[in-house]
Amino acid sequence: MTKGLGAMLVLGLVSWSVCLAAAEDDTVWHGFVAQGVMRAQDSNFVNDSGKLSTNLTEVGLNFSHGLSNNLRVAGQAVYLDGGNRYPQGARVDYLFADWTLVQTADWQANMHLGRFKNYHWLYSSTRDVPHTRPSIVLPQSIYFDVFRDLIVGNDGLALVLNLDNSMGEWEAYWSYGSTPVDQEQMKNFLGKEANGDLEQDFVHQLSVYFRPRNYNLQMGLVLLDSDFTYRSESADFFLDGKGQSQRTMLNFRYNAEHWEIAAELIQERAVFRGLIHPAYVRDAKSQGGFVQGRAFINKDITAMVRLDILDMDKDDRGGEKFEQETGIPQRFAYMDSLTLGLTWKLAPQWKLQAEYHKFKGTSRLSPIFLPDVQLNDQKYWDMWAVQLMYWF
Amino acid sequence: MGYASDCRSSVLGHGEKDLIREVKRISKSGWLLGIALCCSVILPLRAQEVVSEVQVIVSDSINLDELSAAQLRRIFTMRQRQWPSGEPIKVYVLPNQDPLHQHFTKSQLSMFPYQLERLWNKLVYSGLSERPLEVYSQDQMLKAIGATPGAIGYLSKEIVLEGRGVKKLSVVKGDSHD
Repeated sequence: MTKGLGAMLVLGLVSWSVCLAAAEDDTVWHGFVAQGVMRAQDSNFVNDSGKLSTNLTEVGLNFSHGLSNNLRVAGQAVYLDGGNRYPQGARVDYLFADWTLVQTADWQANMHLGRFKNYHWLYSSTRDVPHTRPSIVLPQSIYFDVFRDLIVGNDGLALVLNLDNSMGEWEAYWSYGSTPVDQEQMKNFLGKEANGDLEQDFVHQLSVYFRPRNYNLQMGLVLLDSDFTYRSESADFFLDGKGQSQRTMLNFRYNAEHWEIAAELIQERAVFRGLIHPAYVRDAKSQGGFVQGRAFINKDITAMVRLDILDMDKDDRGGEKFEQETGIPQRFAYMDSLTLGLTWKLAPQWKLQAEYHKFKGTSRLSPIFLPDVQLNDQKYWDMWAVQLMYWF
Repeated sequence: MGYASDCRSSVLGHGEKDLIREVKRISKSGWLLGIALCCSVILPLRAQEVVSEVQVIVSDSINLDELSAAQLRRIFTMRQRQWPSGEPIKVYVLPNQDPLHQHFTKSQLSMFPYQLERLWNKLVYSGLSERPLEVYSQDQMLKAIGATPGAIGYLSKEIVLEGRGVKKLSVVKGDSHD
């Protein structure tokens, strides 16, 4: 589906749903407000100065409106301020028509048309909703903040299937579409010197989840294929180019009454052609993932520990070859982190979350393609954040 | 129930003292005593709630007398939205912290309350579906289900249902595939 058609679909659905919501009073509304402070010294993860920042604001409002037993429309708009992590401002995270194709006692199939959420990864469907996340900043090996808007959802078509059989519960998601990339996101990815346009040609995803009967565990497999095109402008540092991303991800979660463990592994083949000179090709497979444990200490307090690892090239984990070929320091070839977090449920709709991250490496700090080696001059750096959340 | 709860606290109180004496005997190490003390504070907090047995109820409009455990789980995880007759399902629940809700989730759905809450959050904040309607007492639950065609919820077994426009639904363990 083209970017233009996707944008038209979203605009059409916005107008339609605003009219519906105004006309009907059985629409269900939910929302959230969160504000916090964070500081990342020795890196530009939050801001260029490394000083304490209040750029940790998230506000969202969503609705769901049933048109009939089989047709529904749902949408969510958010305002975000995350410093350097993603562009500041308002956006529509999702807005789609949900058509129930089949519904029996054992299985259900739905089709979504419009801008839908990324349901495929372990935390992707609610990564933009503060009180649903295990931590304020998600593991960057997979939930890469620079590509936040690209990861949250797509404009296009999705199919959602869930069924129960004698083995257990199954969920399958398929989606095809694309997401607009604005100038700030493009510069966060390529570099401040880029003046052209970056477009996502398509993103195609398939995921399958399985929960065996009588076991509190879940396993998932995710496949992703996406192409990008860069069209340079005059006086642009970059030339025209193409990018390709192919992800294979596995995830696992085990739930006990007072603790849980979750893990998500990724291998991503990233191919870049052009951009630097017409014959330039960079083709590498990154590998990484996280393991996360959470302990529900009592009904109000949850403690979390997580180890997250990412190597940008599985054949050059230390970045020696990368430095020789590009002149970019080795620390930009990996980024590992250890996170400790605490969540305190203050009241039924209030939470306070605090966390500390220790990082080794800088590969997920913006800009990605042409990194800022002056601002991100340390191999080891740390970050902490505290955020107060309210939802309804 | 208050008396039973007091007796239980008292027994657990003796248990804590015994545990501390036992730990002191085994080891003089301060850190081990610290861990044991933490456990003795946290674990009784979890164990104090005494809840009665739960019954699944539906509005009189539902032409069913029993449901498989798998179907009940599909309904409360909002993956089945219509009764076999085509009538929309209205799911009612008590707040997450309510002991009866916690008991119902564990005993009837074979899930922990935090799993159910996470699943509903995913539905609500990604537009996939809506979360159940929340009521704040069993009396409200009874009134809401009696007044809402297609409604389902749960109550303590002691609650009398006659003349309230609701009926009990038997939950058959196992599922329709066995």
